[in-house]
Amino acid sequence: MGMRRREFAAAYLFLAPFLVTLGIFFLFATARAVYFSFTNYDLFNAPTWVGLRNYAELFRDDLFLTALRNSLVFAAVVTTVQTFGALVMAAVLNQRIRGLDFFRAAFYMPSITSSVVITLIFLWMYQRRGLFNYLGTQFLAYLPLLGVFLLAVALLQAAQVLYERSRRLPARWGDPALLVVSLLVAAGITWALVFYGVIAPREVRPVDFVWLQTRREVPGAFPGFLRAPVPLLAIMLQNVFTTIPTFMLMFLAALQDVPAAHYEAASLDGATPVQQFFYITIPAVQPVTFLVVTLGLIGTLQMFDQVAIFGNAVPLKSVITLAYFVYNRMFPGAQLPEVGFASAAAMFLAALTLVIVLLQRLFIRSEGRR
Amino acid sequence: MSAATLPHEPRATLAMERWEARRRWARAGIVYVVMLLFSLLFLGPLLFAALSSLKTDPLAYPPRIAIPQLSPANWAAAARLGRAGARASLWGGFAPGADVPFELTYFVPDGTEAAPPTVTVPRRRPGGGLGAVQSVRYAADHAAVVPPREVGREAGSATVRGEQVAGTFVTYRVRVRYVGDGPTLDHLPIDAEAPSRTQAFVRSTLPPTRLERLGLVASYDNVAPGVLGYVFNNYRRVFEEARSVTTGRSLFLSWTASSFIIAIAKVLSTLLFASMAGYALARLRFPGRGVIFVLVLFAQMIPVQVIFISNYLVLKGGIFGLSRLWGQATLLNSLTGVVLSGLVGAGAVFIMKQFFESIPREIEEAAMIDGTNQWQRFSRVVLPMARPALGALTILTFQGAWNDFFWPLVVLTTPEDIKTLPIGLLTFRNVYGTTGDWGLILAGAVMSALPIIVLFVVFQRYFLEGVSYGGTKE
Amino acid sequence: MTKIRNLLMALAALTLSAALAQTTVRVQGYGGGDPAIVQRLIDEVIGSDLAKQGITIKYEPIETDYNAVLTNALSAGTAGDVFYIPGETAPGIIATGKVLPLNGLVDTTPFIDSLMSVYTVGGKVYGIPKDFNTLAVFYNKDIFDAAGVAYPTADDDWNSFADKLKKVSQMEPDIHGACLPADFARMGAFAYANGWTPFQADGSANLLDPAFRQAFDFYTGLVRDGVAVQPSDVGAGWPGDCLAHEQAAVAIEGAWILGFLRDNAPNLQYGSTLLPKSPNTGTSGNFIYTVAWGVNADSPVRDAAVKVLQALTSPEAQQFILEQGLAIPSRKSLADNPYFKQDTPEAQGNLTVFDGATHGNVLGFQFGSVGTDYMTPINNALNEVMTGQSDAGAALQQAQQDLESLLQRSQN
Repeated sequence: MGMRRREFAAAYLFLAPFLVTLGIFFLFATARAVYFSFTNYDLFNAPTWVGLRNYAELFRDDLFLTALRNSLVFAAVVTTVQTFGALVMAAVLNQRIRGLDFFRAAFYMPSITSSVVITLIFLWMYQRRGLFNYLGTQFLAYLPLLGVFLLAVALLQAAQVLYERSRRLPARWGDPALLVVSLLVAAGITWALVFYGVIAPREVRPVDFVWLQTRREVPGAFPGFLRAPVPLLAIMLQNVFTTIPTFMLMFLAALQDVPAAHYEAASLDGATPVQQFFYITIPAVQPVTFLVVTLGLIGTLQMFDQVAIFGNAVPLKSVITLAYFVYNRMFPGAQLPEVGFASAAAMFLAALTLVIVLLQRLFIRSEGRR
Repeated sequence: MSAATLPHEPRATLAMERWEARRRWARAGIVYVVMLLFSLLFLGPLLFAALSSLKTDPLAYPPRIAIPQLSPANWAAAARLGRAGARASLWGGFAPGADVPFELTYFVPDGTEAAPPTVTVPRRRPGGGLGAVQSVRYAADHAAVVPPREVGREAGSATVRGEQVAGTFVTYRVRVRYVGDGPTLDHLPIDAEAPSRTQAFVRSTLPPTRLERLGLVASYDNVAPGVLGYVFNNYRRVFEEARSVTTGRSLFLSWTASSFIIAIAKVLSTLLFASMAGYALARLRFPGRGVIFVLVLFAQMIPVQVIFISNYLVLKGGIFGLSRLWGQATLLNSLTGVVLSGLVGAGAVFIMKQFFESIPREIEEAAMIDGTNQWQRFSRVVLPMARPALGALTILTFQGAWNDFFWPLVVLTTPEDIKTLPIGLLTFRNVYGTTGDWGLILAGAVMSALPIIVLFVVFQRYFLEGVSYGGTKE
Repeated sequence: MTKIRNLLMALAALTLSAALAQTTVRVQGYGGGDPAIVQRLIDEVIGSDLAKQGITIKYEPIETDYNAVLTNALSAGTAGDVFYIPGETAPGIIATGKVLPLNGLVDTTPFIDSLMSVYTVGGKVYGIPKDFNTLAVFYNKDIFDAAGVAYPTADDDWNSFADKLKKVSQMEPDIHGACLPADFARMGAFAYANGWTPFQADGSANLLDPAFRQAFDFYTGLVRDGVAVQPSDVGAGWPGDCLAHEQAAVAIEGAWILGFLRDNAPNLQYGSTLLPKSPNTGTSGNFIYTVAWGVNADSPVRDAAVKVLQALTSPEAQQFILEQGLAIPSRKSLADNPYFKQDTPEAQGNLTVFDGATHGNVLGFQFGSVGTDYMTPINNALNEVMTGQSDAGAALQQAQQDLESLLQRSQN
């Protein structure tokens, strides 16, 4: 009996610092946020009870609705792209080659620096005279050369594969050795064509795509309500760039546990790498996929940093997210704070996150029961 | 490609083996190339930003890789000028006894007379914004210009307004001397105005900082920079120009110090408290265990936007008046406030709990028979075994605290030197973004990324382990 | 005896230390180019006098969004003892109740009346304006000379002004006539020239007024016709940047551009003149931007803070600032100062900006309690039309709707 009481006391002593922090800065904070969402509070005068008025006004406020749309689109697109991209990259990286550590470190580099650094760098690259537009211009200028090169590669590869098959060797369409030969010869052909002036880079007007100071939306991406503004697209690209490496490492750790024997057996049975990917890799990392998607959804629904750092370089309505909306209502520039309104929006964000995470949990669980 | 077709078995197998080997080599080669391309994709922006942080104008179009700051000829020239200016070939300057020679080349079309340019040392402050605050000593007060003399001529032709025009390239040398005695100055700016618009500026010992008045005036911010002063000019400006008004110290150093203090404090508190809490949840039996565990899961999912309003008000009141114990009325705008409001996170507790659950009970039970109490069991037996998890947790917490943006943004608003590095960079962007001084912003960004990159390269294993700890232990 | 002696000595020590005690007054203001001005003022002009009275100044400029940080600080009780009150957000800041009314504490008669009225609410004065600014046309003399076009003058009307800009822009493809941002804080001057005001007698706003539409069309038309560009089109952050890099021949800005040009385009030969007149009304229009110093009502060192405020707006301080070309003083007595007669581009620029306050339809840069949010719908319309995404009629309809809902919400 005494021992159990000692264990009881010891446990709570051990837990004390954590419980105090949790109590003040999570539980009390959440409770107060709920309370504030039913009040009208501007930080200078005492809060006054207004009931559900904040929630009603929330859905009539078009800045909130815009923020909701932006957050949903952002979360959907970025989570999908980063999960799939991370998985593919992990599959590609899952090789037994030397120097893998260097590559892993190189890929992970963007994720370790703070969001401010990456955002500032991308902000500079998204300028109208910045790197992205320049690369776009170069791409358009060199398009004929690229086209010729790819065509030559395809033809040479096809020719070689057919030749080898006629010699009754089991050559696949993507055969690496033949591919190397195709690439080298095609490069030589393209260079020769340029040297003799048959084809040349085109003169194009510099690409002047406005990434930031625009309220245009990407046409046809989504129907009606869910359309992505171009600046939000810019943030999506940047976000994917920083989060894919982290998730790739998680997938990689899981993939390393898959015995190579599975893959060898499958390739002996004649399965292509793509088939192996779908039938071995994806089911094997199912629990990690679930985690990656959850973390991805939570993280993207709370996107804040990039909006704050882009600041007045972008129109507010084109990038505002729910998280930034809460902050903006709490510390607006020219008016008094709207704490009640901000709290109501925050509660909505929390509820939305919970609902979406639960939904995807159900969805993936049901998928996984094979 | 000479695979034998049929009969002889051994020869066919050998050929097949060679064919397979070739395929494997090619596959490895292609994998390496793909990896290199991906590395370029992920490291490219960072490397290019680092390169561009050296440029005078990173938005010059088209963006180049071969910039004047990377040309060895310019390094030699900068070193020479630095030595002439202050006997300092690394950082340059303008000191008593200096005699700085500088050459300017102009193109004079046939039919016009060449005339020397007018060279003056202007009385000018370096940079605007944050840099303009300190009282500055001006080189103009101590400099005397020896008028330019012609030192060379070369016939040639140049393109003027799209046409090839024949003419002469005339080089002038001007000397700037330090008059009498006085302080050593950091910068020696000069302006060189061509005598007329027909005489076009071609080149000079070091490229001008800007060409003004439609090409008439070549303006130089510093003609005695020294090698490092020339190449890393923007970095030098980050340290020298961004200074706090109140203390005069470099803002960048203050920000880095704030970040370090908060990160280290957080790491220590998290390691201790999270392992204690994780151990209790993993090993000890007590009522309410399940509830607390659910809370741990729940707390990881709450968006920070829900809790920040109340936490801001709590800090404003000094955590219910507690801060008055040590004389502070409010914990806002203080590092103590940031640390106290984030002593230990639910995620850290979760990781430690998972880890402790994976340690076999036998080891602990052995210690229990020896008659130790809970704390000794924890600190002497279990904790040392937790080193891998603690290592990963250290790195995770450090990285999180160093890169934390939202909460410091809310808590630390004034004065500028209390801010941490990420939000200090936001100040940088606000101040210099409007003046278009991207070189300074990129230099600031690169410098703030360096500490964590260095840590990453050294402790790579722990970083990558930390990610998998946070991830796969479900 | 010894006890009494010790007591007396202790008392003497206490009073001595009290006399020598330094009160620290915290001063907060803008960031950017401003700290240089204020710091020099503190170091060179007012610091020593205040030190004799036992007052030291701790100056904390705010480099990020000033209004947000100030409201935040006022609510948290961490605001400075003396701080800036920008004209456009004055109603909001005063409404927090944390600004000390200065009636009876500071003499307000020497200051220009139109500026004082911005900070007077309900008969109480909440801030002393420290300087003011208006818009002027700043032009690059070299570009006009190279194009053979006469400089813009105060007698120009919109059409002749546009003509001159057009001829300049035709000279070279990389040099544009003017750099105009999609900002009501600049375009509004043209609307005011046409007689339009932000609020009508009944408190509503009408963006569909023909006077407003004409000014709107003129301003956006310059960009649409390729005569002018937006700063972002040429990779500049604001028109001052354009002018400094010689990408445009004209920028319409206030005296704040002078310090920027001094540092970033030190050899630029520029001139300045008043804004062109509207062909309808024959007068020009302008904004008056002003910032005041105010005292924190909750300040623990109130008397010292008021003394600091008086020192910051004293005749000596304003004279110093004027002679350094840093800002245009708010005291009536400095209107005839010999500084304005100097022949440097900077002095003449300051004189032009000073004159702008008394020429034409000049309105304060203030939009009631809704603050700078008033401009957002108009700025959106400007941007849409100037980038060719929409036509003026539709854009202004949308802007009118947005503005009406904004005004309605602010009245709740």
